[in-house]
Amino acid sequence: MDRDQGGVAIERVAAPPPAAPRRRRIDTGRFARLALLAPTLAITLVCFIVPLGLIALYSFGSVNQVDFNVYFGWTTGNYRAFTSSLYLNTLARSVILSVSTTLACAVIGFTFAYFISRQSPRAQRLLLVAVIVPFWTSFIVRTYSWVDLLQNLGPIDRFARALGMNGHIDILYTQWSIGIGILYSYLPLMILPIYVSLERIDPALFDAAEDLGATPWRQFRRVVLPMAVPGLIAGIIIVGVPALGEYVIPEILGGGKTLMAGNILADQFLQTGNYPFGSALAVSIMAVLMVLLFTLRRAQPAADPQ
Amino acid sequence: MNVRRHPFAASVSLLVLLFLWLPLIVVAVNSFNQQTIMAGWGGFTTHWYGLALHDQNVRTGLETTLYIAVASALLSLAIAVSGALWWRRASPKARAVYDGLIYARIILPEVVSATALFFLFLKIHFTLGLTAIVIGHTVWNSAYAAIIVQARMAGLDPALEEAAADLGATPWRTFRRVTFAALLPAIIAAGLLAFTFSFDDVVTSVFLQGASNTPLPVVILGMIRFRITPEINAIGLLVMLFTVTLMSIAVLIYATAGSLGRSGRRGNMLDIYRGR
Repeated sequence: MDRDQGGVAIERVAAPPPAAPRRRRIDTGRFARLALLAPTLAITLVCFIVPLGLIALYSFGSVNQVDFNVYFGWTTGNYRAFTSSLYLNTLARSVILSVSTTLACAVIGFTFAYFISRQSPRAQRLLLVAVIVPFWTSFIVRTYSWVDLLQNLGPIDRFARALGMNGHIDILYTQWSIGIGILYSYLPLMILPIYVSLERIDPALFDAAEDLGATPWRQFRRVVLPMAVPGLIAGIIIVGVPALGEYVIPEILGGGKTLMAGNILADQFLQTGNYPFGSALAVSIMAVLMVLLFTLRRAQPAADPQ
Repeated sequence: MNVRRHPFAASVSLLVLLFLWLPLIVVAVNSFNQQTIMAGWGGFTTHWYGLALHDQNVRTGLETTLYIAVASALLSLAIAVSGALWWRRASPKARAVYDGLIYARIILPEVVSATALFFLFLKIHFTLGLTAIVIGHTVWNSAYAAIIVQARMAGLDPALEEAAADLGATPWRTFRRVTFAALLPAIIAAGLLAFTFSFDDVVTSVFLQGASNTPLPVVILGMIRFRITPEINAIGLLVMLFTVTLMSIAVLIYATAGSLGRSGRRGNMLDIYRGR
């Protein structure tokens, strides 16, 4: 975004024109550059694009019930299997959970990021550290600690009862506990990009808006919100997409009963061995991702005041 | 703090901070808690630490994880640094493709990239195990490392290298004394970051471990599934302290590195979160 386009242009202009006697040197330079790219190419092509292509291919195959080999039949049966009631609930739950937690993350994250950005530089740094440090600690232990927190007779349950609630909270191992776990794990990923875009707001803009008679609400709507859009979009992508494929959080906080798409996908590969169906699931998650990216990227330049 | 002007944002923020820190406090407190069901305070003990440190699964898990994390961090650095050197001279179009693929490696749900890699290894009969895990971690780790190294590279003025060359330095010496030296803070920070991410990983390891020794986070996942004990809190607190220390060092190195020629902008770990 704040990439140094000017510098690039200067470099390109300053580069000597490819005069005939120097052609050989330029060729070795090209070779050297390709060699520099080779490690990146290897990991990206061989270990990322090829595997994804492979599962895209297999998602149209089928498993022979006798010898358990996979055959390509260009069938769409694996995609149609989503509509069976066995999976439909889980898939719907995944979408609802990831959308609602992403929205909750966006609202809470925005409020918090806005609060940070209005503090003195010292307080800003302190608050950022307070956000980032929990994020650096072991993901699995952090998630696990919600089992302690949310269990009946746990601290939150006791607190609720002390406030006068009857019975127990009963939210551990439900979609509520999964939602809380996702919100918890992904919130810093939403706060940071929004903060980065809010931090760039020139305070003079507020003074200008105030001088021109804008109410605080109008200042917020016309100055803060438009400036926050790039960060908000980045946050929604970084949170929403991985949340859709979340595997560990439902494993721990769903107690093996309440699952998400990521768990079904994992089971197809690790347990039942129905690779074509698992592949179809993976491809669908990728498709949702691409649609989301495409839509949000189109939304971005329109809102970006540049 | 500027609380009075934003009472609503301030109270939400207070709740957010509580929300973010509560689980860590619970882990820390329960790791010293005598009561086994952890529903209340049963007195102080260091018993769980003794159990954790003598658990053979935990010890081999830790060794395995350290090996994987070091290997993956080194591999990621090699990829990130060579990639950043390429990126510098690449055309804007090629850069866009390169950046897009970095981004894709980071945001694609890990369960998707891990299953795809698992399936590829199965098809080409590549034995699952430590090497497979290292490769799997490097897929996304190299992307994180690339962003950090690249951000520093973008601020490096080519005039510095031209000056070195004009003063008679050989290309290798120029690279070593100018380019590499300038990138070093980013390289160290990216290495520590990659190490920590790998050290913490569950999903990719679950898919690619095969019959090898189980890495520590997967050992912890197994403990959570089958027997909930306060021992996990003890291991958890130790692991947390370790990763927080490493990440703090990474940020300090990156943030205190001097500015470079052209941009004058100081390193900032938030570069990772800058929207593209």
